[in-house]
Amino acid sequence: VHSIFKRFREPIFVIALLAVPFVLFFVRAKKGRDLNALDRAVIFIIAPAEKVITLAVFGVVDAWQAYGALWGVREENLKLRRDNLKANQLEQQAAELKLENDRLRRLLDFVDKQPPARLLIARIVAVGASPHSHTLRIARGTDDGVVKGAPVIAPEGVVGIVSQLTGSYADVQLILSPLSAIPAIAQRTRSRSTVKGTGDIARCKLTYALRADDLQEGDVLVTAGGPGFPQGLRIGRAVNVVKKSHGLFLEADVVPAVDFSRLDEVLVVLDRAPAVPQGVASGPGAPGSGP
Amino acid sequence: VTWRAGFVLLVAAGLAILESVIPHLFHLRAARPDLLLIVVLYLALRDDVVQGAALSAATGYLSDLSSATPAFLYTFLAVLTFVVVRTAGAALRTEGGIQSAVVAFGATLGHSLVATLIFGFFTGSGLHFEAAPLLWSAFGTAIAAPFVFAVLRRLDASFQHADEAPGGLL
Repeated sequence: VHSIFKRFREPIFVIALLAVPFVLFFVRAKKGRDLNALDRAVIFIIAPAEKVITLAVFGVVDAWQAYGALWGVREENLKLRRDNLKANQLEQQAAELKLENDRLRRLLDFVDKQPPARLLIARIVAVGASPHSHTLRIARGTDDGVVKGAPVIAPEGVVGIVSQLTGSYADVQLILSPLSAIPAIAQRTRSRSTVKGTGDIARCKLTYALRADDLQEGDVLVTAGGPGFPQGLRIGRAVNVVKKSHGLFLEADVVPAVDFSRLDEVLVVLDRAPAVPQGVASGPGAPGSGP
Repeated sequence: VTWRAGFVLLVAAGLAILESVIPHLFHLRAARPDLLLIVVLYLALRDDVVQGAALSAATGYLSDLSSATPAFLYTFLAVLTFVVVRTAGAALRTEGGIQSAVVAFGATLGHSLVATLIFGFFTGSGLHFEAAPLLWSAFGTAIAAPFVFAVLRRLDASFQHADEAPGGLL
């Protein structure tokens, strides 16, 4: 046996190197990934380097842009003063409208069943290393209260969910990933469907939308709510809507509301509890500290 | 583990960082080079079987870690790519930059197709081929290949010099 092993050492070694990862992938293909100690150690080394490079480059770009901006600052200042006056007027009108809205809501006895979400601002430090991956790496992890499966959003709409975690970093699986599926409703018709990723970098697929629904080109799709994403977040627009003469469902693509290649920061939805600890912003777009 | 293997892993780790950071900094959506695949190609064409396969697996593991796909897909694909390119190695010449670019272009296309097939088949997410991103990625990898090959050749040359010199590194 020893001589056979010695003679076929190379093929045996290579076959083992092929077989072991394949079996492990096969066993875990439909499950998420839980990082082991080695995984965490490697990410512990690599992720800070990614963060330093990203912050350094953006820092240089910001400094250069700030220098360039000084040239037009006087004209911009005058324009901003005028805009500010207009904004003050609009703010007063908005305050009036809000009070009116509150009165009407009380009159209608409308209660928002959805508790407010706690949002954590996270800086993106890198994207998935493989061109086939659809992930972002953010500089927030379990130490900040992020949990696996936590929804991640941007002011423009839905980004994805947290798929793997270390203490200080998390990888976000984008809605473009073939593993992603989000319950959705059409904003105009309130018809339900599911937005699935296909691996395409610019489009998702709309599934389980009934053919009888009045879905049209350009209709906005928002999250349907439930245990995952908060309700009413913009997912994208329906395009290429095809209603065949047969079948239960129509076919359509979805152009995501978020341009994932131009994101610098995202918001992680921690939970729906009302408490707001330090460094955690409440409500979409609320100010907060970066990582 | 030899010093040379350690340095190859360091280069791979550095390339993994670049591969994650550059698309984010330059807002690249499609033309993303697969730098770690180029390392696997170099190993398949230059290294001995046992060390090359092991280093390819380690390189694939690095790719796996930052892809958040089901674990070990890219580890398996890296070793598979190593075996295929190694087997075809007699017919492949990568002495010049253009040759390495052509090999990288073809290998990226094959790698992407197999990755899409395996991913779609085993995760149950279905098959979705998109030709444009696949070609752009292959194009980006082809452009990067001569540079990565040059870095690794330089690394190997420095170890050869060290071996030839009395009292070298190894």
